[in-house]
Amino acid sequence: MTQRGTLEIRGVEKHYDVDGRPLKILDHIDIDVDAGEFVSIVGPSGCGKSTILRLVVGLDDDYSGSIRLDGEPIKGTSLDRGIVFQDHRLLPWLTLEQNIGLSLENSRLGTDEKKRTIAEHIALVGLRGFEKVYPYQLSGGMAQRAAIARGLVNRPEILLLDEPLGALDALTRLRLQEELLSIWRIEKTTMILVTHDVDEAIYLSDRVLVMTANPGRIVKEITVDLPHQRDRGSPAFAGIKREILREMGDYAVHVAAA
Amino acid sequence: MTDATNSTFAVRRPLAGARIPSPARAARRPAPGRRYIGIILPLGLLAVWSLATYYVLVPAVFLPSPLATVKAFAAMVTRQSLHLDFLRSINIVSQAFVYGSVAAVVLGVAAGLSANVERFFGPTFDSIRHIPGVAWLPLIVLWLGLGAPAQILVIAKSVFFPVFLNTLQGIRNVEKSHIELAKVLTLTRSQLIRRVVIPSAVPSIMVSLRYAAGVAWALVVTAEGLSGQEGLGYLIFRAQNLLITDQLIVCMVIIGLVGFAIDRLMLLLQRFVLRWKQGFEG
Repeated sequence: MTQRGTLEIRGVEKHYDVDGRPLKILDHIDIDVDAGEFVSIVGPSGCGKSTILRLVVGLDDDYSGSIRLDGEPIKGTSLDRGIVFQDHRLLPWLTLEQNIGLSLENSRLGTDEKKRTIAEHIALVGLRGFEKVYPYQLSGGMAQRAAIARGLVNRPEILLLDEPLGALDALTRLRLQEELLSIWRIEKTTMILVTHDVDEAIYLSDRVLVMTANPGRIVKEITVDLPHQRDRGSPAFAGIKREILREMGDYAVHVAAA
Repeated sequence: MTDATNSTFAVRRPLAGARIPSPARAARRPAPGRRYIGIILPLGLLAVWSLATYYVLVPAVFLPSPLATVKAFAAMVTRQSLHLDFLRSINIVSQAFVYGSVAAVVLGVAAGLSANVERFFGPTFDSIRHIPGVAWLPLIVLWLGLGAPAQILVIAKSVFFPVFLNTLQGIRNVEKSHIELAKVLTLTRSQLIRRVVIPSAVPSIMVSLRYAAGVAWALVVTAEGLSGQEGLGYLIFRAQNLLITDQLIVCMVIIGLVGFAIDRLMLLLQRFVLRWKQGFEG
């Protein structure tokens, strides 16, 4: 059996209609992600990086080109493809446990098995003891961990992370990056992370894809060949960061210099 | 797993495994002493009432004294079986409230989910809604005669519309991002409705139920007064005709207190049903 979780995006283009005229959002996107790989997509806001995730997860099928998971063209949404949004999107009327369980509503697991895997994933994200708590009682970081657990509980072949840490404070974000890495090592799920935080992308990923806007396209692919734990202050790390920022264009260089 | 996961830095209340006290509930408990602020005004009014009757500022036939009212209450209970009229009114209102609100929630959900259902009922409902319950009563009494069925129907109508409209609105206000989530989790349409759409509507349904319960109780007085031989509403109108003002006031006080109790009960129910809502105060 080949390893599952291989994603192949070929020649994907997408247009929006703006005042009757087509506006190109994505221009010839080619991405290959190996099973178990951690790939990040960085780029300025509006470059279409989140749109790519929406296409892959199946929320939007209005595009040309092909998206294949393990060689099969994707169709609609599927429990094989999980996603974590920037807003945690926990349903406020369900407890943490019920929110995570909602992912398993249509899984083929038996009741006991469901209970066990929910408990396992609550433990995985460090929320044991909070099973019966409602979302409003959770801090932003805890809610996002719960969302990650919900994304993983059905053991998807690929987990899409749409700026999941973007709304968190700096300290919580660093902690959760650490947790994402350890979760990735345990679950061995293929991960695609969309972020505008270049440090985050370099710290977590095997490869970083750099996008620019108007129209959204991939301008550079950079392999991060540093051993974990990566040192954000090392010259090698800084070198990769400089390279990425340069690719993102003048705009990003100014931001970095500021 | 790193030790970070077990740390409590991100935890608002560092009580892993413990019950988390709800901030909303804590805020609901006023400081000792302040919770009795609401009693000051009724006591003041009672004092004014006593003084006005004690100095006979108002003739007793228009305003009997509090003591005379209490005596009238005792007499009504012992000699006229006031409790039977009271229970009769409660019974009418409860039936009307249950019929009206169940029909409203069912049809409201249906209309909220299907634009065709809404289009089908829309013009009819919007017209009927504007004819007040009291205006329906004469015709309904012609059909059903004086008594409970006509009263229940009229009150149920007045319960139906606020609940129906709020249910419909609540269903329509479901968040797009939650629908998207349901799609990602591959929920079926019926799962989507049960797990996402209806819970989204519950807050506005609860608010309208509380409002409708008050409307129903107020309307029972009118309905009984206009079309019956029993109940608190009937007693009030009879007392006016016979100029037994102390009995009239007894009925008014009972109606006010029951209305107050109904509202507080609905508030408690609302708080329990919406316990997942942050800082929900009703």
